[in-house]
Amino acid sequence: MIARCAVGAAALLMATTSARAHDVASGVGGFYGGLLHPLLVPAHMLALVGLGLWIGQHASRPRAVLLGLFAASLAAGVIVIVSAFAVTGADDAILVVAAVAGLAAAIARPQWLLVSAPLSAIAGAAIALDSVPQEISMTATFLALAGSAVAAFLMVMMMADLTVYWRRDWQRIAIRIAGSWIAASAILVLALRLAR
Amino acid sequence: MNARLAACLVTFVLAASPAAAHTGSMAGGFLGGVAHPVFGPDHVVAMVAVGLWGAFLGAPAIWLLPVVFPLVMAFGGVLGIVGVPIPAVETGIAGSAVVLGLMVALKVRPPLWLAGVLVGAFAIFHGHAHGAELPAGADAVAYSAGFVIATGALHLCGIAFGLLARWPAGRLAVQTAGGAIALAGIVFLIGPR
Repeated sequence: MIARCAVGAAALLMATTSARAHDVASGVGGFYGGLLHPLLVPAHMLALVGLGLWIGQHASRPRAVLLGLFAASLAAGVIVIVSAFAVTGADDAILVVAAVAGLAAAIARPQWLLVSAPLSAIAGAAIALDSVPQEISMTATFLALAGSAVAAFLMVMMMADLTVYWRRDWQRIAIRIAGSWIAASAILVLALRLAR
Repeated sequence: MNARLAACLVTFVLAASPAAAHTGSMAGGFLGGVAHPVFGPDHVVAMVAVGLWGAFLGAPAIWLLPVVFPLVMAFGGVLGIVGVPIPAVETGIAGSAVVLGLMVALKVRPPLWLAGVLVGAFAIFHGHAHGAELPAGADAVAYSAGFVIATGALHLCGIAFGLLARWPAGRLAVQTAGGAIALAGIVFLIGPR
């Protein structure tokens, strides 16, 4: 009986694999895995592109404030995870950010600082909180989160810069169309999650 | 008995796969979403007709319709997801091809708001059909992004072809395309579903 149990236990142990929070880039871990994370998770990508397009539609000073808020909230989110706090609902918050930012980019009314400031802060925190890596050690976790934060910030900044430099009529229209696509995708998935 | 139980347990465990937060394949979900409107001929002709009509109407309709359509389509999609019934969805989709095709073929130029309302009304039918078929799961984001982008790309195809209307021969080609779309819509209406 003991032998059978031992065989069973051995079989169970051999069949197990490591628990993984985010298996988006197998074989790539640490800082570089973190860098890839926002680019490979569709919801993160939607939110970052939508937020970047909207921030880029703001004037120079508010744009800098919004980018600063986004960076600060990313850092705060990283600190929360490294401090071993777990937060649920970050994935839904990311979709809300994508929907609102995409809609605002489609409408092209950048003067809503009362909306864009808190949204930038929520976006940064939610992206960081939804990027919990599979790493076990504190150092590896921090490196992966740092990579995700750097990639997320660069993505938003690049999209904002692109929006600033795209001044021709057709380019502005393309940004608005992209915003409407992002909002539509995010709204549909949010509805799907809330309904099921 | 215990040995059988152990064998069953081992079989179950061997068949298991690791739980992961983001299980969806970016490429698979996205391509599945792209394929949904592209491989539905009734969706394709209606989307191309929206672009053709926008190009025919000129600015600002040429860019307003592609911005408005996905947003209204998302509203229709939400109705489909939460289970709000819309009668005769497939008839509405086929009807959109007939009406929009005729608008192009007959060179109808209504006020912008009326064109927007008409296209928006049809967008609800298309969105409802997409929403009802949206797959649950982690790759729903990639899937929905795929079909929204594919829908937009079909609009852009229509707009690109519709820009030929600047020339007399091109105008005839665009009107002919509108007529062909209306005919295709009639076939979808009377054909088996």
